[in-house]
Parts: sequence; C-alpha cells; structure tokens
Amino acid sequence: MSVLIRGNPGDTHLMMGNEAIVRGALEAGISVAAGYPGTPSSEIIETLARLSPNTDPDNYPDIYTEWSVNEKVALEVAAAASFAGLRSLAVMKQPGVNVAADFLMHLALSGVRAGMVLIVADDPGALSSINEGETRLYAKLMEIPMLEPGNFQEAKDMTCWAFELSERLNMPVLVRTVTRLSHASGSVTLGTLTIPDRRAFFRFDGEVLDPMEGPIMTPPVEIKHRSQLAKLDQAAEIFEGSIFNTYEGPEAPELLIITTSICDLYSREVVNLYDLGNRVGILKLGTTWPLPSRTVLERLKTTRKVLFIEEVQPFIEEAVKVLFAGSDMVGQGMAGSGEAGSGTPGSGTAGSGMARPGIAFYGKLSRHIPMAGEMNPERITRALETILDLAPGLNGGYPVGQAETLPIPPREISFCPGCPHRASFFSINMVLALDNRRGFTCGDIGCYSMGMLPGGFSTLKTLHSMGSGSGLASGFGKLGRFGMNQPVVAVCGDSTFFHSAMPPLVNAIHNKSAFTLVILDNSGTAMTGFQPHPGLPVDTIGNQVPSIDIEKVCRAMGALTRTCDPFDLETTQQYLLDCINDPEGVKVLILKQACALSPQKRHTRSFEVKVDKELCIGDACGCNRICTRIFSCPGLIWDGESLRAEINEVLCVGCGVCASICPSNAIVLKEI
Amino acid sequence: MVNLLHDPYNLIITGVGGQGNVISSRMIGNMLAAKGFKVTIGETFGASQRGGSVMSHVRISSKATLSPQIPVHRAHMVVSLEPMETLRVLEDYGNQDICVICNTRPTHPIGVISGRLDYPSMAEMEGRIRELSRQSWFFDATSMATRIGDPIFANIIMAGALAATGDLPLERSLFEKNLKSKFSPDKVTLNLKAFDQGYAMI
Amino acid sequence: MQILGPAELSNRILARDLCTLCGACADLCPYVKSHQGKIARLFSCDKETGRCHAACPKTGVDQEKNSSSLFHKPLTENPLGHYRSVHMARMGSLITREKQGPGKEFQNGGSVSVLVIAALQMGMIKSAILTGSHGIIPDPRTVTTPEDVLECAGSRYIAVPTMAMFNRAASKGDENIGVVGTPCQMAGLANLRTNPLEFPDFKDPTGIAIGLFCTWALDGDGFLIYLKGKEIDPAHISFMDIPPPPAKAAILTLGNRQDMTRREVKIPLEDLRKLVLPGCAVCPDMTSLYCDISVGALEHDPGWNTLIVRTEKGERLVDYAVEKGLLTTAPISGESMDGLALAAQNKRERAVSAQRSMGMLDPEFQKPLKPEPQKTIMGFR
Repeated sequence: MSVLIRGNPGDTHLMMGNEAIVRGALEAGISVAAGYPGTPSSEIIETLARLSPNTDPDNYPDIYTEWSVNEKVALEVAAAASFAGLRSLAVMKQPGVNVAADFLMHLALSGVRAGMVLIVADDPGALSSINEGETRLYAKLMEIPMLEPGNFQEAKDMTCWAFELSERLNMPVLVRTVTRLSHASGSVTLGTLTIPDRRAFFRFDGEVLDPMEGPIMTPPVEIKHRSQLAKLDQAAEIFEGSIFNTYEGPEAPELLIITTSICDLYSREVVNLYDLGNRVGILKLGTTWPLPSRTVLERLKTTRKVLFIEEVQPFIEEAVKVLFAGSDMVGQGMAGSGEAGSGTPGSGTAGSGMARPGIAFYGKLSRHIPMAGEMNPERITRALETILDLAPGLNGGYPVGQAETLPIPPREISFCPGCPHRASFFSINMVLALDNRRGFTCGDIGCYSMGMLPGGFSTLKTLHSMGSGSGLASGFGKLGRFGMNQPVVAVCGDSTFFHSAMPPLVNAIHNKSAFTLVILDNSGTAMTGFQPHPGLPVDTIGNQVPSIDIEKVCRAMGALTRTCDPFDLETTQQYLLDCINDPEGVKVLILKQACALSPQKRHTRSFEVKVDKELCIGDACGCNRICTRIFSCPGLIWDGESLRAEINEVLCVGCGVCASICPSNAIVLKEI
Repeated sequence: MVNLLHDPYNLIITGVGGQGNVISSRMIGNMLAAKGFKVTIGETFGASQRGGSVMSHVRISSKATLSPQIPVHRAHMVVSLEPMETLRVLEDYGNQDICVICNTRPTHPIGVISGRLDYPSMAEMEGRIRELSRQSWFFDATSMATRIGDPIFANIIMAGALAATGDLPLERSLFEKNLKSKFSPDKVTLNLKAFDQGYAMI
Repeated sequence: MQILGPAELSNRILARDLCTLCGACADLCPYVKSHQGKIARLFSCDKETGRCHAACPKTGVDQEKNSSSLFHKPLTENPLGHYRSVHMARMGSLITREKQGPGKEFQNGGSVSVLVIAALQMGMIKSAILTGSHGIIPDPRTVTTPEDVLECAGSRYIAVPTMAMFNRAASKGDENIGVVGTPCQMAGLANLRTNPLEFPDFKDPTGIAIGLFCTWALDGDGFLIYLKGKEIDPAHISFMDIPPPPAKAAILTLGNRQDMTRREVKIPLEDLRKLVLPGCAVCPDMTSLYCDISVGALEHDPGWNTLIVRTEKGERLVDYAVEKGLLTTAPISGESMDGLALAAQNKRERAVSAQRSMGMLDPEFQKPLKPEPQKTIMGFR
C-alpha cells in the first residue's frame, strides 16, 4: 500500500487492479472518495482510508474518505465535492449502481463540475455476489461516457484520465471493472502524484445553463438533455483517437475478435496458445460508451468474421451490430468476393436476393459464447474451434479415463466458529418449528445470507437485495386478510438496517403490517471485511464519531423493540416466541453480539470448551449428534472412531453456545 | 533475464481461506516481477474467510502480460497447502507433465467435520496425486511451521520448496532482501529458517 | 411390527393427521418436541430406527410385546384386555364432594384422583403426571401433593401431549412416576416401557399407570374456534360432561361452584363429532388396555366409576386405597360388564376398518421410506 503513495514516477510495481485504480485516482488529485462496501470493489475505499490521517499535506494528498450509509448517498457525497470544485471518486459494486441509479440519472442530466468518476466493479459468474448484473447498460441508459480498463496499467491510466474527460465534458464518467481485474495483480508503471490545490466552494450565482457558475440541476430538461447528447457525441469524437482502443493482428484477419475489459487478456492468451496470430486480429475497446464508430467500422471492413468476447451481456455485440446496420457497409456488399455469410445462426446474413454484407457475427447472440457466467479461456477456445474449424480437444490434459479423480467432498462456505448468526438462525428455526404454522424468514444481504445454506439451517426462504427482506415482510404481513396465517420473520444486519431497511420498516409500522424483524447486530459490515457503519462510534478512518442507536430508532418509529444476546439461546427463543405469538404489528428483536472476526472479539475467549465423552451419546436415538450434524460449527468435530463429539481446540473460539444445545449436557464450559 | 522453463510459466497456489495463499502468491509474484518478468496473479477469494477453497493463478512470462486465469489443463506446478484442494485443482488444471508440492496436513471441510461426508485418506490422495503428476513431493509443512513458531510459516516453507525445484529463479538472496525490507531481524531469521527447511524437502 | 424412524413417523402419522397428540414421541430428543399442545418437529433426524416411532401408538402397537411385558401373559382376544378384577368404585368417605375445595370438580366417582393420592401416600410414586386445566384448556403438570392432585380433577376432552411431560421427567432421572392418561397415551407409555431400542442402561421410571376410558378426543384449535363462535369463553368452563346415550348433547358448566352466575350450556354431540381428531377413528382401544388400572364412567350411575384392575401392582394400590378409606368399591353387575365389553368391541371393529381404509394394515406401512436426496443451493455447478 505504501507504494501507492511513496512510489516514484516510472517505478514498476506488482499491484492489485483495485490498487491501480487508487493510484490512478491519486495521480488525478482527488480530494473526496465515497462508497459502500461491496466485493470486489471494497479495497479501493479501504486503501484510500488507510492513507488518512494525513500528517504531511505538502507532500501527500489529503483525502476525505467515507463509507457512506448506502451507494446512493455515496454518489451524492462525491457529487457534492465535484460541485464544490474538488475531484471526487464514488466506488461500488454492480448492485450498488442499482441503488444509486436514480441520482445517477439526474446527475448525468445536470452535469458535474470538477472531475467525478464512478468506479463500478461487476462480478461476472457471481464469485462473491448473488447476481451477475451488467453495469455497462447504465452508461447507455444514463447517457454517460464509459471506460473499461483491459489490464492493470489501464486500470491506473484510465482512472486518472477519466477525471480529465469528466472535466472536459462536465459529466460523470463511469469506469467499469470486473472481479478478475480488480482482485488480480499485475505490473503497473507509476505516474506522478498530484497534490490538489483547490479550495472547496460551490458557485451557483451564475447563469442557469452555465456549467461552471450556475446552479446544478436538471431543468430545463429538454435543453439539458440535448446538451448531454451533444457531450456524448463529443466524447465519441475524443474516443476515436484514444490509446485505450488497440488493435493487434494482421491487417485483414480471417477473424476479428472485438473485446473489452479483462477479456482482452483471455483472447490474446488463447490466440497465442493455439498459434492463431496470423489468422485472428484482436480489437480491444477501452472506451466503450459511446463507441468510437469510425474506429470500429474501419476494422469491420477488413474482415468477414467477427467474434465478440465480453461479459456478461452482449453489450458491445449489440452496439456494434447497430453501428454496422446504420453504416454504409450494409446493402452494398463487400469489396472482393467470398461467400456470403454461410447461414451460421445469428450471423445477420439471411439468405435472400439482396446484396448482402459479407460479415458473420459471432458471440452471445449466436450462442457461440454462453449468455450466463464469466468468461474464461475455455469459452473462447470452444468458440474458435467452431468458427475457425480447428481440431477439437485442444485443451490437452490427461488421457481419457485417467482424469477420473477420487470423489472429493465439496468445501462449503459456512459461518465462522463463534459466529452469532449460527446461534441466531438456530433459535429462529427452533421457534418457527415449535410454532408449527409454517412460519418463514425473508433474507437480506450480508454474512447472514449464508442462512440460506444447510450450515445456516436453510433458514432463509427469500433472498434478493439490500433491505428487501424487510420490504417483502412488510408485504407478507398484510396478507392475513387473505387467509395467510404463517408467522413472518425478516432478518437484516446492522449495516443493512441503515442502508435500506429503514423505509420498509416505516412502511410496515404505518400500514400495520404484522411481522418480526430480527436485526442481527454484529457491530460491523462483516462479509466485505468488517467496515464500520453509522451504528458504530468510529468512522471510516477510525475517528470517534456519534453512533446511531438502532434500538432507539426502532422505538422512535413505533415498533415494539427488544434486544438480547443471541448466544443466550433460551432468552432469544423466548423473545422470538413472544414476537411470533403476537399477531399484530411490527416487532423488532435486536440480537446483539459482536462478530467473531471483529477487533473486540478476535483473540478473546469466554470459555474453555470440552466434550465429556462419558456423557456424550453421539449418534444414538436421543441426540443423533445434533451438535456436529445440525449445529455444525467448525469447532465441533465428529470423531468417527470413538463415535463421540470433540472440540477442535484450534478452531473453537470459546463462545460456549454449543453447550446449550447438547441434550446430554456433555459439553462442558469453564469460564476463563 | 533467465529463461523460464516454460514461457508462460503457470503456477497454482491453492489451499483453504486463511492459510496465507494470498501472502504467498504476492511474495512469489513480487520476487519474479523484481527480476523483470511480467507477472499476473489471479485470485479467487472473497468468501475465503468463510472456509471455502482458495486458488491463486501465478502467471509468469518474459514476453507478454497474461490473463488472470490459467487455461484448463495448462498448469506447470501446483503448490498446495491442503491435500484435497490439490486434487480439486488437478481435476481442472492438471496434465501429465505437472509437478506438485503438497502439504499433507488436512483441513476438514464443514461437511466432513459434521460427519456428513468422508474425507479421503492421505494414502489414497497421495497415490492419486502421484498418478496425475510427473513429479510430486509430500511433507507436513504445517507441523514444520508450528515447530518454528506459527502455522502461517507453512507458506514460506512451501516457497522454499518451490525455489528448490529450480523451475523458477527464486533465489534465497532475493527472498532475504525482500524480507529485510519488510520485517525486523528476528522475523527475518524465522522466515529464512522456514524457507531453508522447505528447500531441504526437495 | 417394525420399528422405523422419525422420517416414517413424520411422513405416515404426523403429516397425515393421524396423530392423537398422546405425546409419547415427544421430548425424548431435540428433534420432536411438544409445544403449546402440539407436536413440533425441529431440524431433521435421519436415524433409521427411533424411540419416537416405537412409542407412537399409531405406527403399530406391538401387542404381544406389551402383553408379555406388562401382564406376563400372551395376547388376549378379550376386547377389555387383560385384567384381574373389575369393580364399580368411587371416592371413599375420607374425601367427599363437600370436602372438596372451590377448585375442580370430580368426574363421576372421582376414583382417579383418589387413586393418585393413595399412590403418593403409600410411597408407590414420588410424583404424578396429570392433566390439569385452565377452563376447558388442558394443561399437563407434575404433582406431588394431594391438593395439587385435586386441582387436576375432572375429565379432559381436548387432546394434549401429556406423555411428553413424562418423557421430560424420565430424562431428568425421576423415578416412580405416576401417570394418568388416555388409551393412546397408555399405549405409548407401554411401548416405551419395553425399551424398544434395547438401551443397555434402561430403567422403567413408571410408578403406576392409570388409564382412562376414551372414545374420542377433540382438536383443541377447532374446539376453541367453535366456542368463540358460540361466544363461550373457554377459560370460564369449569366442567364438561357427556351423558351416556340416548343423550344428544354435551353439557358445559360455566363458572365454578362459588359463582353466582354459574349456568349450564348444551352443545349438540353432532357438532362435537366434527371436531374429533381424525386419528381417533383408527384407535381400537376404549378402556386403556396397557396400564395398571383403567378407570371410566359407569353406564347407569353418574356417581360411580367402572374400575378395571389389570396388574398386581394395581391391585395393591386399590387395596390400600380402600383400606385407608380413600376409595370405595362394590361388585359390578354382569349387565354392566356386558355393555362395556360390547362398547369396547364395537370401537375396536370400527378402528380396524378405518385402519384398513387408511392403508395402515398394508405391508408398505411397515417398510422404511426411500431416503430423499438432500438438495442444497451449493450443490449446483
């Protein structure tokens, strides 16, 4: 990390994509950065936060870094800095843009002042997400320019240049990265750091349409929209000469690959691996909205076959096809002879008597590349095998038959030893089962999303987006009049509560919906790396700040609210029973216990835990190893030889909850 | 610049979240980048702290920047901190010429710990790994590391072993220099001890 | 009769509404629990054989085994089961209705209450598991004093899993526990007492088992909704009686004996029949075949009970109670015996026919279920 600040211009360092983005922002001289934790983007704000407090403002940049309560607010915080003349950065993962979208649309229309860049990290293949949404469509929808770095150097260079572009156009610029770039590492040659020398001041007295002096708003809408579109055209022109759009390969390739983002590296690798460099050319686009049409069309004219390599949606594929359809290439045929597109599915060359363009387009729409999931070298290889008629089985590997390996058990993710969520979900499940009315739990986003897995007792029966568990519960809780008598429970985390669960809670209370909200308060935003949030008395960089008391907020809203410790199973279950036995209104139960990985918990133990093997009845009727088989904390081992449970002293953190579960009182706790 | 045994050279470092996969891959990556090679490291982490498998693809080349994913069946070396993960990696990335350095200390997944699933025996796994590789080495790096003072040293031991194979130019002197720039003298000594013990295993 | 596991119990009995809430399967383990008058299944137990299945009177009662274990005799065809003597009985001079407190009222002769008091007094039992009530709502409890026994006087018409309380007491290590229960509860108890899974360190904690006559029990939820519809507060019902045929209505008494507004309300029997638990239709046992003493109404005299003494232990208790003036017995007429046997026979025949139509007599019913593959989200590639 220190290299990001102290590295000299011209030095080359191995760094993560996200770190390269940070360096790019520092080279552009940002003053403010705001975001919400979201894998694979979190390292950007985390890294910037570690640069504070700044003890040497003459030589190192002073940056205000904030984990905002949600992505919409983060975007607004960054926009404010831009309006006041300071370069700013907003950072989020793909679903975060969904949250920020309303403001983004209006910001695109109103314009910005100092350079403002929105970094969005997509997660194709959902490696750390529960969707694989496509951010790039936002550039088209919001009508803002977009850049996609294709490697680590570009991650830095594009981020830095994006601020310049933003200021030229007075528009926010979207820089879109993906997990395989953000979390991968490669070499980056550093540029020069900029120490910004600007005083924050928001100028607004000027003429209404003056982008630098007037108030910043969206009306008059049609005029501003036309001006926005004109700026996009300007961007397209700037992009025509951009160094971020590169071509490598023969002048008239047999196949032209058009690719963006990290897919460029995959494409190059596959082309080199199978020695196709003289047949295949690769056009890598880095400025992907608006598309530089001349750059693209000139390349299209040199070939008969085009393959689009991108993830996740066929964004470039469709955009290029639109460009092509509107170009002078259509209806005139191509220079030279050659077969018209030979009826390859989706090739856009339907047989008819018309003069046909001689290009066959391949990609997701032709199903040569699967529509879902992330890109990898294999998908490209498969496509090339068909399109270039290569010999199959290029992949190598083991001779047939040898490759059958042993059946290897999967390595499921689960709650950590000592995780309060395991105890909370155990209690929720017990109570809903005891109640016997087929009650259910609506889930939300966080570590506790793992409540959908067997290790979380498959508690969650719905799981969507931030705050949606409470929203759905608010809806379910009104269905009693239509005969629904199932108790409704929603869970959300402390960070999620502030992010977006408060409005549905207000809705439910006001509309007299009947449900129980269980707030799993583990004192942090755990899944993404334990970032702080407004419920804690520390801010992004560790200063003491006011915290907002969740219990007080819920009470003030008018919900019946109680708090207890999820490690105390008996009290938790009693309170939960009280909640679901109450047929009316919103009940809030805050289960408060710090995360096992939190600073206050790490390296502390409440108990020494041991199993008394004399008392343990193992898999016999009356227990059937409820501790290992059901509770399944990694600290509890089933010893197949003695047929008894055992504590793994290395993994056990001594929370003591398992002792309450043992029907034989065989788990013994000794207070430390 | 020394010629690589293979260019690109594809190394996979694998294990379970929390074992220091990322530290290892960065350390090796940095050492090779310092020698002027183009290095790309692709990681799968994120849910790793919750007990899942982790894998680092360390790609080294003198010619081109490589993608963060090794094409299937194209790895040259697997350095594994967990035996079952070795097999998982070989299934997708192995080939007849691959070499394997394997820590024999198992980390049981939750399905096995809870008694739901069976963990293959070390003998079975070792046999299978030998069948699926050209050359392989097995030792309990975790025990060795614990004796030095902390299980996390297993990473360094494995790095020492990797250096000893000679596939990559990972000289002890370079490693020492790297350590000295980051750690106090007594930490440097311990790390070097781990490196040397790993080196001796090949 | 096969002992199977919780999956079969769940699938064939609990999920099919054949459960009569005896509670014998419940509170033996963390997976089957009694809660607020119902049987709840928590998490999932994958054992192939379990005490829950063995205990359940609906999965099949091993009549041979129970006969042999309780009575040391082989199975009998007699619809009244094994017994040593039958009498008419009622509470003795020591406890009279006048001496009864303002609490519960005795049903018929009050014999059950006095037998339990006698058992406590003679040290045959240290505690008893009875079913008290709050109004009409049954409430299982553990009692150790005569006053507490009297608090539980009266018949209960709503099914409640009292045996779960017995199971809890037994797992705590209690010994010499007295139990009063319905035929299905007694059958469940008898099943458990034979140590069906052959635990090596098994000890039968039963002190005395007193069974009741029973033709059916009501579904609590249904009955409470019905009462609400008639604007009757279930907590106010101090007494419920179903007179013998040709009576067409049950009589609910609202308010206790001190209450100035005490009154009686009639409920048509045909209304009650709709609220009977479906599982009662397959129960062949009218007089509680598997216990030490069975007690029920005497057809022609509401002031007396029919008392069936089945075991030596039961005989000792009755002798003691009579000796101490707690219980009065008298010979029972041949006519009453015949009437009782006929009623018991009829119930048995109806039940066997119902069992047949529910498939409970098919061989499939005794076979293990095919295990279902576990589906999890992480299982997909």
